[in-house]
Amino acid sequence: MEDKKRWAHTLAARVIFVAAFLGLWEYVAKSGMMGEKSELIFPSLEVIGGALVKNFVQGYAGMSLWVYIGNSMRLLLEGLLIGIILAFLLSGLSMVSRVFYDICNLVISVFDLLPGVALLPVVIIIFGVKPGVIVFLVIHAVLWPMARNVLDGFLAVPRIYIEAGQNMGLKGASLLWGVYIPAATSYIVSGLKVGWARAWRGLISAEMIFGVASCPGIGLFINQMRTNMNNAEMYATLVVIIIIGLVVQYGVLSPIEKCTVKKWGMSR
Amino acid sequence: MKKYVRLLAICLGITVMAAGCGNSGQAQKTSGNQAAQGQAEDSTGSQAAEDEADGGNQDADNTGGEEATLNIAYQYGLAYAPLSIVKEQELIEKAYEEATGNKVTVTWNQMSSGADINTGISAGSIDAGFMGVGPAVTGVMKGVGYKIFTNLSGQEHGIMTNDDRIQSFEDLIGSSNQIALVNIGSFQHILLAMALENAGYDPHALDSNIVAMAHPDGMAALESGNVSCHLTSSPYIFKEREEGNLHEIMDVAEAWGVDGSFIVGVASERMHDNNPELYQVLCDAIAEAVDFMNNSPEEAAKITCEFDGNSEEDELAYIQKSKYTIETKGLFELASFMARTEFIEEAPGSYEDLVFENVKGD
Amino acid sequence: MKKEEAILEVQNLSKVFDANTDNEKDVLKDVSLQVARNEFLCILGPSGCGKTTLLRCIAGFEGYEGSVLVNGQERRLPGTDRIMVFQDFNQLFPWKTVEKNIQYPLKRQGIRDKAMLKERSEDVLQKVKLSGYEKYYPYQLSGGMKQRVAIAKALALKPEIILMDEPFAALDAMTRNELQDELMRISLEEKCTIIFITHNIQEAIVLGTRILVLAQEGKIVVDEKNRIEKPVTPASEGYGATWERLHSALYQ
Repeated sequence: MEDKKRWAHTLAARVIFVAAFLGLWEYVAKSGMMGEKSELIFPSLEVIGGALVKNFVQGYAGMSLWVYIGNSMRLLLEGLLIGIILAFLLSGLSMVSRVFYDICNLVISVFDLLPGVALLPVVIIIFGVKPGVIVFLVIHAVLWPMARNVLDGFLAVPRIYIEAGQNMGLKGASLLWGVYIPAATSYIVSGLKVGWARAWRGLISAEMIFGVASCPGIGLFINQMRTNMNNAEMYATLVVIIIIGLVVQYGVLSPIEKCTVKKWGMSR
Repeated sequence: MKKYVRLLAICLGITVMAAGCGNSGQAQKTSGNQAAQGQAEDSTGSQAAEDEADGGNQDADNTGGEEATLNIAYQYGLAYAPLSIVKEQELIEKAYEEATGNKVTVTWNQMSSGADINTGISAGSIDAGFMGVGPAVTGVMKGVGYKIFTNLSGQEHGIMTNDDRIQSFEDLIGSSNQIALVNIGSFQHILLAMALENAGYDPHALDSNIVAMAHPDGMAALESGNVSCHLTSSPYIFKEREEGNLHEIMDVAEAWGVDGSFIVGVASERMHDNNPELYQVLCDAIAEAVDFMNNSPEEAAKITCEFDGNSEEDELAYIQKSKYTIETKGLFELASFMARTEFIEEAPGSYEDLVFENVKGD
Repeated sequence: MKKEEAILEVQNLSKVFDANTDNEKDVLKDVSLQVARNEFLCILGPSGCGKTTLLRCIAGFEGYEGSVLVNGQERRLPGTDRIMVFQDFNQLFPWKTVEKNIQYPLKRQGIRDKAMLKERSEDVLQKVKLSGYEKYYPYQLSGGMKQRVAIAKALALKPEIILMDEPFAALDAMTRNELQDELMRISLEEKCTIIFITHNIQEAIVLGTRILVLAQEGKIVVDEKNRIEKPVTPASEGYGATWERLHSALYQ
């Protein structure tokens, strides 16, 4: 009962916030306070809504926005998967070897500071001009925060779990799998959250700068809308980006959290 | 339930307040102008945006002694060289004072793309900008609220390849060879389409071979063999032509030579209508700088080489290979081509739809 | 006691903390000890006497000099023949249910048969009076219940020796008494060998069949059979005298 009430509160607060935001937007758009070209640079909600439909029905260059989203998502998933596996590999090896840990720690600190887009020229020279470059940037975006979180999580595993694990004969990989990873789940989940957000943003900004026309993604779509002064379509695409972000947050990450750390009473 | 009503009221309150601020901000502009003078010089970003009300459209009937402001947006590179002269020699400031007895504060904003400048002008924070003919035509036809007030320069363009097997478009169409150019929908992209059409192909036949990369990145990618072609403009095209292992597919260079309009200046209709003196001064300043470039290129190179990051000799050589003129060439033809090949949605009815009355050319 | 009967033998065990530094300290010095099968050995000692360290050395969590033999075979690393029950309630894996916590080490030992696993876990849970809590997660249990599960987990593995490091020290007095009674009952029924660390004299007398008192550096000052008949209450014959004797040894 309590839960239900709180849920209703949360929902109401959110609905009010969104409604107020949209109201404000519409007011600004209609008031003309953005200058005489208001409808061009600050389109009203109806126009953006229409553009949203147009994005999916008509799209750009003969392809619906779905195609662009599909391309982006494919590259994103590929990069996320590789990035997450690498993050576990790095953190796992760091727990085994002290030297590797020291190096790994430095590498993570250094690379985490580099914006992926700034690496683009180097990446192009090394890897060539392929959609793989985008995958590389997604990996770059997800790997370091993820590895940092997993490593912190491993270091924070209470000694008693490790000893209990050793006591039942776990060692090496089985200890990693049987104790370290489940015990660090809350860190891993927050690493996933940060990594996902970074990867999603990194993907779009990379696509805006570096567009491969044979595999056009959502960033390229935004850039085209901008170049062609189709601002309503551009805002509509931003809305789509937000919606995808929310779907992943509430459709994938929250359920993962719910059936792990929340269920185990381990949330920090 | 009461709580929500209150919350809603607060939200609405904020909305109204924000709206009020917007209006009062504008109202203050005329009275607070004097005070703002000192700051105008370092006005950047948001402040520039707030300054929307003044800028070029200084009311003509304002009392004397009031200072006008002019926000100019430009981009980086050789094609924009005359602007370095205008800026360094303060041609606008001097001419405006001579013509009206008043001062003008000119703010130069370097921006990274025509699309950014288009947004700036439509938001009212920029009065005049310089960009490729592609985004300029797009902006005019989209109703951003500006027209072309001058031509600035023509440059050489070309497509280079590092692959001996590629001799013509025939070898590219249907292949997986990649063509680097600065952006999809950019002037270089339009040139590719034009060259394709001239050669008898579908103008969009190579669209899926394009990779969008900034000029220097594209050059690096071509030299390292990561792309097989690079369609670029001077000075990069000059540098690439000097490389022994690259060769050129001539169609692009033939489609649009150095004489054709490449970079043009656009001015907001607001400034053109409200402050004709300032508009005229701006036109004259560009004309003067262009003359200076053509009459004394050595001196010009001394001034501009620093901005463009070239040695003085290189800069002079590049300037002499460029064409600086205030007369447009091929502008209407290009705009019509863009409409026909769906780079823009709407075709201009006439040359005069694109330019202000003082501009000469075609 | 003849050597062959000893299930556990500790020979000349020494342990130094902060070796080769200014803080160098002998925690255990030349400790030797034998434990017979089915013995319930209670080790009493003041704080810092090294009793916990001794237990951790036996369990294989610490490095040391000397040797630990289980059934005559040297042991250096942790293993399922010596199962530790810690003082900390959080020794169960929070990501596993009670049942899975018990079954997991069994699975690691190679028992794959589901029915058998279920039977074993139900059996031990019944022994610690936690039937019906199979599907609970540790965070849903009280401290005393968690310790019961930890004991059940140890019992399920049927180790040679169960090592208990003050498992009831953090419990309230009532729960503590209850668990003492149950542990004593289980130890009588199950025929298991237990080493039980405590600093509580009453606990040692109630549970132990043999009682050791350690002084600094692990020196054994008392080593005696507890001949008071079980169940022990403060009214049992000899309780008072034993208590006095242990107390004076402990605080001399």
